[in-house]
Amino acid sequence: MKKAFLILLIFIFPAISHAQESTELRAEVNINAQIIRSIDLITINTMTFGNAQPGQERLYVNPINDVNSGFMVALGTPGAAFRLDYLNERRLTQIDGPGFLIFRYELSGNSVEEQSSSELLEVVNRNLQFNNEGRYYFWVGGEVNIENALPGNYEGDFTIEIDYI
Amino acid sequence: MYQKVILILLLTITHVNLYAQELNFGSDYSSIYSVSISDLNPGLDLDFGLLAKNEGVSSLSMNESKVISIEGVRYLDVYVEIMADEYLLKDGNPSCATNPSCRIPFTLQAAYANRGQNNTAQSTIMNVLSFTATALFPIKYRGNAPPGPPPTPVYSGYNPALFNETAYLYIYGSINVGNVDAGSYTSDITITVSYD
Repeated sequence: MKKAFLILLIFIFPAISHAQESTELRAEVNINAQIIRSIDLITINTMTFGNAQPGQERLYVNPINDVNSGFMVALGTPGAAFRLDYLNERRLTQIDGPGFLIFRYELSGNSVEEQSSSELLEVVNRNLQFNNEGRYYFWVGGEVNIENALPGNYEGDFTIEIDYI
Repeated sequence: MYQKVILILLLTITHVNLYAQELNFGSDYSSIYSVSISDLNPGLDLDFGLLAKNEGVSSLSMNESKVISIEGVRYLDVYVEIMADEYLLKDGNPSCATNPSCRIPFTLQAAYANRGQNNTAQSTIMNVLSFTATALFPIKYRGNAPPGPPPTPVYSGYNPALFNETAYLYIYGSINVGNVDAGSYTSDITITVSYD
């Protein structure tokens, strides 16, 4: 009986060995995700006009070369493309009276911190990119007609939207 | 002693007969019939795109899945195993596997369609256990019908295209983005297919 058992083992082994010749096909799929840092918009300097002179009809701050321009920096993922939208016409309301002014904003931007080489930005921009340090710089200017403005202080806001593309 | 010799002789004959049948119609089809797998969109990853940290769960649906086709003999069953890593790792760095700030948990989901069409509406969800999805199914769905006849043996002039069909795998899932570092996160999914 021991011999019979031994012979069984011998013949089972080739069957197992044969099964192990089965071929398996393999393929690989990559999974990707890009985690971006949230965009922060920091105001470094606010725009200033100083006092309007009597008879002055128009105030204008050139965002490319005027030192009174507002200065902002956007922080995001280095090298990431983004789009920028802003409202260029805003209503400024008189703080202590019924008057108002219409302000037309102008915005210039640059990937380096250099106002003089910045370029005027359209209301809708879709080809902007954070620099290698994840920064993009803005200068804010614009013009307002004060010909019929009531004396006083005015305030308003500036809306700018930045989204990754 | 005479009885033992007869027993040995019977065993030997029995074995030879079984092996001869297996050669033609046996269960080890992989050595006789080919099966192939293809990426329907080569070069495209299972891509979750741009996400912000702490964004939470981000999912790719079956309709956004990675599609893999399996071509083989239509009446044969294939065993499919899809293995995923537990985490996507920043820059694929293995040391991130133990660092919550540079890993993103991944939940694997998978399905197959074996009715001859690349159609997610005809798919069957695969069971997933321990980051591995498995399924055993015929290349061509046969419903409640009994298994078909043994496949046509390979012969001179054999044209496998006459007997082949294509099934489709859909690989998708979700990630849960917590407070992780910004950067590129990657992982791999391995798909193994063999005739049952």
